[in-house]
Amino acid sequence: MARKAKELLDIPADDFEMVVRIVREEDIAVARQMAKQLAQGLGFSLADVTKVATAVSELARNIYRYAQTGKIMIRKRLEENGGPTIQVVAVDRGPGIEDVDLVLTRGYTTYERSLGIGLSGIRRLMDFFEVVSEVGTGTAVVVEKRRRKF
Amino acid sequence: MDKSRLEMLAEELGASEQEGKLWRKLLLGAVSGTTGNNLRETLREPLLGLLEELEPTALGAKLKLVIERVPTFPTAELFPLVLELCGELRHDREQAVRKLEDMLSELATPIIRIWTEVLLVPLIGSLDTDRAQAMAERLLERTSTTRARVVVVDVTGVPTIDTAAGGFLIEMFSAVKLLGAEVILTGLKPEIAHTLVKLGVDFRMVAIARDLEDALRQAIAMLEEEKRQRRQIAWGRGSNFPGEGGEHGDI
Repeated sequence: MARKAKELLDIPADDFEMVVRIVREEDIAVARQMAKQLAQGLGFSLADVTKVATAVSELARNIYRYAQTGKIMIRKRLEENGGPTIQVVAVDRGPGIEDVDLVLTRGYTTYERSLGIGLSGIRRLMDFFEVVSEVGTGTAVVVEKRRRKF
Repeated sequence: MDKSRLEMLAEELGASEQEGKLWRKLLLGAVSGTTGNNLRETLREPLLGLLEELEPTALGAKLKLVIERVPTFPTAELFPLVLELCGELRHDREQAVRKLEDMLSELATPIIRIWTEVLLVPLIGSLDTDRAQAMAERLLERTSTTRARVVVVDVTGVPTIDTAAGGFLIEMFSAVKLLGAEVILTGLKPEIAHTLVKLGVDFRMVAIARDLEDALRQAIAMLEEEKRQRRQIAWGRGSNFPGEGGEHGDI
């Protein structure tokens, strides 16, 4: 687990098409906008574009709230069977999460004005979801959304 | 280096007539023999013009050329001046952006009285900023001062609602309700509706309307219902004229 956290935190940004550094609150909107554009460009349905944008917005806000600074990295992957996939990696070198399962419980929050449904909500919005975290090192969240065929 | 050669250099550097003039002024000023603050003042104006005229990289390349060609060019004076001017330009730009932001926050959210005791709030843009907070405060103020009974919140102009924006709306709705007004939410787009359900953001605490027309209809129905109830109470107390449109209709 610890090894994986480090690996993900050091993942080179060059491998991604879009990298947004989250430093100020406005950066959340920038990250959301970029994710939206990429999803639209790949021909995702309107509902899925909104889901991807919302998930990125949540991830960016988590970084801003709990780690102050971090990165949102977005890339697309073209798969042979099935449509293209958008992968979003959110990394920060913040305090880390002690108990990932607890954080994924609906309604759990350490932030007073939050609904506490962000991370668990992201999991429901996306097709793939993984949190890797180590206290004192940082947190990495990887999510993916596949374009669905109709 | 004599004046004519400097003028030739200025002509060579200037892509446009305007730019050439600025270079001429800069070069002649630089070698005019003044020093210290006077020199800085002389260089300041043409340099500021060039910074506005040219891309930073292009200006850098041209300045490098100048330093190579004109041995007496006061390079040491130039550098701090360039940095200073860049800082000033950035400051100006930041101020312009701030002004625009202020303007936007004033323009962005009108609070409209569309019916007796009914307010309409068409929300636009992100709901996760200080701007949104300020808007919520204004709405509460207006709700209280106008004694509104119903507040219609239209989120047609909101691109995405994440949990932060959802939390903001829920807070705002609760506060409006504490002021004794009902809230009708409208303008939720289908894709946002789906996302909200997935996220688990629950807006069941307020009435939902399909569109603005529906919202207004519901608002008027709420007001009528309230009037009817008041009439009934008045009648229960033994009022003499309980009928439709009686004197007690507007207690």
